[in-house]
Amino acid sequence: MMKKVLFVAVLLLTVSLPFFTGPYFLSVFNTIFVFMSLALTWDMMLRTGQLSYGTSGLFGLGAYASAILVARAGFNPLVSIALGGLFAGVTAFLLGFAVLRLRKIYFSITTLALTTVFSVVIRNLPKLTGGASGTVLPSALFNGDPAANYWMIFGLTLGIIAISAWLSRSKTHYAINAIRNDEITARSSGIDVFRYLLLMFVITSTLQGVIGAFYVQQYAFVQPEATFSMNFLLLPLAMALVGGVYSTIGPVVGAVLLGLASEYLKLIMPYGHLIVYGVIIVLVVLFMPQGITRPIMKWLTRKTNVGGVNSASIGN
Amino acid sequence: MLAAGSKRQFIYIAALVVVAIVIGIWEPHALVYGVQRGSLYAVIALPLALILGILGVLNLAHGEFLTVGLYASYILFNNFGTDPLRATIPVTLILAAIGIAVYLLTVKHVLKAGHLSQLLITFGISLVLSELIKSIYTTQPRSVFTTYSYSSTTVAGVRFGTYEFLYLLVAVAVLVSLQLFLKKTRLGQATFAVGQNPRGAAIVGINVSFVYLFVFGLSIAIVGLASAIMVPRVAIFPGAGTPYTMKSFALSAMAGLGNLNGILLAGLTLGIFEAVVNAIPGGSGWSDVVFFGVLIVVIMTRAIREGRR
Repeated sequence: MMKKVLFVAVLLLTVSLPFFTGPYFLSVFNTIFVFMSLALTWDMMLRTGQLSYGTSGLFGLGAYASAILVARAGFNPLVSIALGGLFAGVTAFLLGFAVLRLRKIYFSITTLALTTVFSVVIRNLPKLTGGASGTVLPSALFNGDPAANYWMIFGLTLGIIAISAWLSRSKTHYAINAIRNDEITARSSGIDVFRYLLLMFVITSTLQGVIGAFYVQQYAFVQPEATFSMNFLLLPLAMALVGGVYSTIGPVVGAVLLGLASEYLKLIMPYGHLIVYGVIIVLVVLFMPQGITRPIMKWLTRKTNVGGVNSASIGN
Repeated sequence: MLAAGSKRQFIYIAALVVVAIVIGIWEPHALVYGVQRGSLYAVIALPLALILGILGVLNLAHGEFLTVGLYASYILFNNFGTDPLRATIPVTLILAAIGIAVYLLTVKHVLKAGHLSQLLITFGISLVLSELIKSIYTTQPRSVFTTYSYSSTTVAGVRFGTYEFLYLLVAVAVLVSLQLFLKKTRLGQATFAVGQNPRGAAIVGINVSFVYLFVFGLSIAIVGLASAIMVPRVAIFPGAGTPYTMKSFALSAMAGLGNLNGILLAGLTLGIFEAVVNAIPGGSGWSDVVFFGVLIVVIMTRAIREGRR
C-alpha cells in the first residue's frame, strides 16, 4: 500500500514538474531520463547474461536513421523517431543471427566493434549522412519547447520502465534467468536459448534506437563523434551498476543519483569529470556488486523479509 | 597447439610472403608501410594476448595503458629533455609499476568473479586512466619531435622512412625473448603451466598468484616499451591508445589463444591489408572498417567452428 502511494506521488510530481520549474531543471531531468532509458535497456540485455557494449552503436543508428528521414526525405519528426527505432531493431534482428552465437568476451567485444563500424561507415557516406561534420536538421522537435520534450521523454521512459517491469514478471523472465545462470541446463530444460536472446536483443536495440532518434530530434543535430559517443554506453552502464543490475528499480535509482551528481560535477570539474564514473564502476564491481538499491530495500522491508534477495549480483 | 599448428603456420607464412611480393611489385610503399604498421600492432597485441592467455582476462584498458606510456615519454622529453629512445627504459619501468599497482588494487580481486566483472572493471579502469590524463593535460594534442625519426632512404627509386623499421626489430626481439622465457626459464615454464591449468599448477607447488602478478606487470611493461618507440611518430592525445585495444584483440583472435608467433603473422597480414586499402584512391577512410570487419569475421568463424565441435 505504502509503495503504491509513493509510486503515484512520484509519478504526479514528475508529470507536473514543468509547471513549477524552469527550463534548466527540465533539461537536467530530460537528460536523466535519456540515460535512465538506456540504463534500463542495457540491463535488460544483461539479464540474459550477455554484456553488450553496443548501446551507443544502436543509439547512434536510430539517431541517424531518424535524422536522415527528416533531413533528406522530409518525414514528420515523430514518425521518424518510430522509424529510427524500427531501423535499429531490424538491424539488431539481422545482426543477431550472427552476433548472438557468441558468448562472454566475444559477444562484448563484437558489439563494441560494431559500434565503431557503424560510426566509420556513417562518416564515409557524406552524401547521405553529412560525413564527419554531421547534419543539422531544419527544426528541433516541438520547436524546442522544453515542457513538450520533457513530457515526451518522460512518456518514453515510463514505457521502457513498464516493459522492463513486465519482463520481470513474465515467463520470459524465468527463461532468461535460467539462460544467465546456466545455459546448458536452460537448453536441456527445453528453453530455446537463441530465440530468447534474439527477442531481448531486438527489444533492447529498438528501444535504444528510439531514444537515440528522440535525442537527435530534440537537439536537431547529428555528428558521428557526438552521436556515437561512448558516453551513451558508459553513463548508463555506471547508473545500472550503482543502482543494482538485474532489476527495474536499480537503473532508475542509479540514473537519478548519478544524473544529479554529474550535473554538479560538470560545474566544478569541466575536464575529465567522467573519471568519477570510471571510479564508480570499479568500486561498485569490487565492493558492491549488488548496487545500492537492494541493501536499502532490504533494510526498509526487514520486518517483512521474504528472502531470496541476495541471489542477484554480478556473477558469471 | 604449437606443434599441430606449425605446418599450417608454415603454409601461411609462405602465402603471406607471396602476397607481400605481389604487393611489393604493385605498390612498394604499401608493403613497406604495411610491414612497419603491422609490426607495431604485433608489439602492442602481444601483451594483451599474454594477459588473455594466462590470466583469462580481456584487458579493455590495454589501449589506455599505451596512452599513459605515450604521456610518460612526452613528460620525460618535455620536462627533462630525455631522448625518446633513451627514455625507453624508464618508461618501461614506470608502466610496469603502474601495471602492478593496478593489478594489486583491482584485477586481482575479480580473477575468480567471472567474465562480467572482469569486463566491467577493466572498462572502468580504461575510463579512469583516459579521464585522468584528460583532466591533467586536457584534450590538446601534443607531440615529441626528433629529427632521426623522420629520416628516410631511397632503395631502387622508392623513398621510405627508416625509423619505423625499428618496430619490426622490436616485434621480433620481444617475440623471441618471450618464447625463450616461456620455454627456458623456470618462471617461464611455471607461467606456461598456469596458462594451461591454474589448479594443476597450484597443486604441483607453483605460486599462481605471483605468476599472475608477474605476467600482468610484464605485459604492461611491454606496452610501455611499445609506447616509447612509437612516440616520435604519433600525435599524443587522451584517446591516442584507445583504438589499439580492439586492434590487439583482433590480432589475438586471429592468431588463436596461446599462439604468440601467430600474432606477429596476424599483425603483418592486417598491417599490409590496411596499407593496401589506404593505397586505393578514396579508400583511406575505410581502413578501420576493414580492420573491424576482419575482426568480426574471424570471431564469427571461430565461434561457428567451435560450435560444430
